[in-house]
Amino acid sequence: MDGESATVVVIGSGAGGAPLTHTLVRAGHRVVVLEKGPLLRTQAQSPGGLSDFKRDECFATGSEKRITVQGVANTGESFFSSHVEPDLNDEPHVYRDSDGRDRVTIEGYTAQVVGGGTQLYGGVSPRFTPEDLRLATLNASRGDLRDDPGGDVRREARDWPLDYAALEPYYTRAEELVGINGTWDGQAKVPSQDHYQPPLDPNPISAYAAAGMDALGMRRYRTPLAVITRDHAPSGRTVPADADSIKTAFVNRYGDPLGLKSNVWVSLLAPLREVNGSGGLDLRANCTVTHLEADGPRVTKVHYRDPGGRPRTISAGTVVVACSAIESVRLLQLSGLLDPAFDKRVDANGLLGRYFLTHCFGGAQCIVPERADKSRTLDSDWATDHCARPEWFRAQGLWAGGVIYNNTSDGALPLSLARTWHAMDMDNMWKGYLYDTGIVGNGFEDYLEDSFGRRLSVAFMANQVPQRENRIELHPSVTDKWGRPVAYIIKTWHPHDRALMDTLAEQCRQILVRGGDVRDVSSGSVGGSVVRIANHVLGGARFGTEPADSVLDPDCRAWNFDNLYVTDGAFMPTSGSANPTLTIEANSFRVGDVLLDRVGRT
Amino acid sequence: MKIEVIEKDDQYILNHCTKYLARESRDARHDFGQYAPGDDRAAICEAWRFPVVDAHWDGASAVSSYPYNDVTFVYDGRRAAPASVAVLGTFGPLHSPVPLRPLVFAGEATGFWAVTVRVPKGQVHTYKFAVDGAYVLDPVNPQRAVLDNGEPWSRFFTDACTVPLSLSRTERDLLGRLVRHLLPFRLDENRRLIRGVYESLDRAGRGEEFPLAYQLDDEVGTVNYIDKLIARQEQHNADDYHTCLKIIGEILRSRFGGLDPAAAPPDMYADLYRQMETEKVDGWDYSRYGSPRYFLLLLRRHAMTGAFVHPKHGGNSGAAGWMYLESRFRDARDTTLFDWRRALESPLGHNTDYRG
Ligand SMILES: Cc1cc2nc3c(=O)[nH]c(=O)nc-3n(C[C@H](O)[C@H](O)[C@H](O)COP(=O)(O)OP(=O)(O)OC[C@H]3O[C@@H](n4cnc5c(N)ncnc54)[C@H](O)[C@@H]3O)c2cc1C
Repeated sequence: MDGESATVVVIGSGAGGAPLTHTLVRAGHRVVVLEKGPLLRTQAQSPGGLSDFKRDECFATGSEKRITVQGVANTGESFFSSHVEPDLNDEPHVYRDSDGRDRVTIEGYTAQVVGGGTQLYGGVSPRFTPEDLRLATLNASRGDLRDDPGGDVRREARDWPLDYAALEPYYTRAEELVGINGTWDGQAKVPSQDHYQPPLDPNPISAYAAAGMDALGMRRYRTPLAVITRDHAPSGRTVPADADSIKTAFVNRYGDPLGLKSNVWVSLLAPLREVNGSGGLDLRANCTVTHLEADGPRVTKVHYRDPGGRPRTISAGTVVVACSAIESVRLLQLSGLLDPAFDKRVDANGLLGRYFLTHCFGGAQCIVPERADKSRTLDSDWATDHCARPEWFRAQGLWAGGVIYNNTSDGALPLSLARTWHAMDMDNMWKGYLYDTGIVGNGFEDYLEDSFGRRLSVAFMANQVPQRENRIELHPSVTDKWGRPVAYIIKTWHPHDRALMDTLAEQCRQILVRGGDVRDVSSGSVGGSVVRIANHVLGGARFGTEPADSVLDPDCRAWNFDNLYVTDGAFMPTSGSANPTLTIEANSFRVGDVLLDRVGRT
Repeated sequence: MKIEVIEKDDQYILNHCTKYLARESRDARHDFGQYAPGDDRAAICEAWRFPVVDAHWDGASAVSSYPYNDVTFVYDGRRAAPASVAVLGTFGPLHSPVPLRPLVFAGEATGFWAVTVRVPKGQVHTYKFAVDGAYVLDPVNPQRAVLDNGEPWSRFFTDACTVPLSLSRTERDLLGRLVRHLLPFRLDENRRLIRGVYESLDRAGRGEEFPLAYQLDDEVGTVNYIDKLIARQEQHNADDYHTCLKIIGEILRSRFGGLDPAAAPPDMYADLYRQMETEKVDGWDYSRYGSPRYFLLLLRRHAMTGAFVHPKHGGNSGAAGWMYLESRFRDARDTTLFDWRRALESPLGHNTDYRG
């Protein structure tokens, strides 16, 4: 099989890799997709009639494992990951903590499976606002920004090399092809066409969030969720006769055995299996790409390990890297490590890995008086763009805003409640519950009485200030199971980020306080806790119009390369005021059209 | 006893192999204290996943499929390149090994071999591979059992297994008492409810769905869950249980006038629990186990999980933990506020779209 070639090779089958693959294969091209994770099929797809995903909490967060990586501060600590997340001892991500010490983290990983992070995501799918793509212009003349003594925010803000109008058709295409339910009325984002499927009835507990938003004059809408509620013609998926049975707490962090959650495997890739006499999509699961080889400005070979671990190569006319931000940067850096000439091209200006971004993220939670059956739920019911509007964030002295939405499925099942008790991120899984040793005997009764079906939280997702020093590097000593340096995450929050997070967390708190007779309201953000990174990993290979100021050109092609593209979340110069996946997908559809021009519209 | 071989495609089995077995590093990256120095299994990620125990679907109905698992044996022949591999075990007639087939990727052999057989739930079996005719233990499976004749065999068990594997009778009794203190089922009304759950099961239901459910009334099967957990995925915590249960047994016995600690009054357990929280337990032998609090936290996580996990893992037996929540939380019209059954496979739940 060595010595084989393909017109296009896509590395990674998630939100960044699948949409352009869809475009190319539908247009008659053959695309080889190399995906490190397994191909887990839905019940309907599997030849044995059973899904490889389960409604099983031990499947979503497995048994205890321990960090055995030597030389880091958390050696010996427990971690819990699902079997579609990488094992941290085999393929750790290491971050430098605020105390200057290195720790291994599960944060920053999405999922290692065909479909990538979209297999586990909650499906919250808002668009970015038009302002998100022009934050440099919007803030250029401002002198009122809070907590920005050095003027970093204005200096580092970037406009995207395309505006909302240019991205809009691709948002529309993504919404149509992926399969999303929600409502437009009340959104700050304007669609050219409405492809939303109707939402299901909200969970009763969400009424408190809705009431709070109303009391504060915040226009609200049904959160766009990547879950189909009607038969979805583009992907051929059908829904059960009782549509309400789609609502199940097995959404966020769970893979969906029935394929109703619109991950990119069920929505975009699986429908291609029969296209071009099934010769179009050549999907190779369990294949890890180790490095790229180039001859001058052309990537000539993709080196990968097959499912048995054997090294193989494939040459390609065009190579698309879509491994999710951190791993894409790492793959390019590893390729550079093996070949200085490659390094010089891909990192000519020293920006590869720089301006790594996540989201400003946080929220508030409370206990509501009336208990609800939270097992009947999708991930979120209500959202508001109130704080994403320029009028609002300008009045607050902030450079950008964010979307706010209520979480409905969190803590819905007894185990998910316990393992995320007081946890702000995935590294804290179980810790809050374990250390809360009063939850025992009668205390256990009180805990259930208070928490089960009565905990409500509201979250925000907002732009983070790009900082050059926030970056992905190769770790100097820790290696993965193939002996290659692992990703090293170095990241802090800017003081303006903290101001923004405090302000938005307070807005979330107000929503709950005004939502009814609620109690035990608390609020916070990733900026104010021990948490280093939120689970949206973006930036590190940003696109732009200036070769000196970006890693990719406006088409997401690496400057100095003729045939190398990066299309996962790494391309973003700013992180947007909403969950990123729909935007990654829309951009991937856009690059798909660019590639069609390149390889030919058949 | 006829062996039913189930056809699985190579994709299915490779999906269960690559992440765990394909690697270059021979470091003991996956040794959390459960392996002796030099044991090859310490280099394998989540070796406990082998053989693969999965749900079964007979193509007809949930009811006829539910009592079985599909068990996939995987042999890693990448280094030795054998000409034939077969598996022989107590799940079938001992004189007829079942051949494994080479797994293929893109038309070429991967070096992995596999076969899938149907095995009833609730069972424990021992097996060996015949590699080019020579009998060997499964090199990747951490579970082993020494038979009466002193010979080691590889072992596996299927879902909802209630045969004790890790803990002795005394350990189970003591653990039952410790767990009872942690969970909500110790209140009288809750205990009545849980007992009602088991009593409401008809005999056939008990036999099929929750066979041999032991120690269920008080701990919802948590003891059984922990027994299975430390036999397989958290084998690295088995020593903690053996050591700490021994120490705790000694302490309680001395506090309880030399009597059986399993019969000690609840207060004694509550006292012990409070002391463990503070790391200062009267009579604890710190030279044998340094942190009673650590063990307490371990126990808390396992007790919680065992009470509310999917019953196939051996806890939440008969879905009693879920039924407790279902009946405990109801709205004004007496409709449940935890309708778990609609999401889960029948006959455990009543979802007809999802098969488990
Ligand atoms: C629990 C959870 C909940 C989330 N909820 C939401 C949400 O509600 N809304 C939202 O917008 N976002 C959500 N996200 C984030 C979302 O999953 C990501 O934004 C999105 O998947 C990122 O797309 P991507 O293309 O950058 O990477 P991915 O979708 O992760 O795709 C990357 C793929 O590349 C593969 N890969 C990596 N390295 C290699 C290699 N060397 N060789 C071959 N393949 C490789 C990976 O296995 C993976 O399949 C959530 C994420 C998680 C984990």
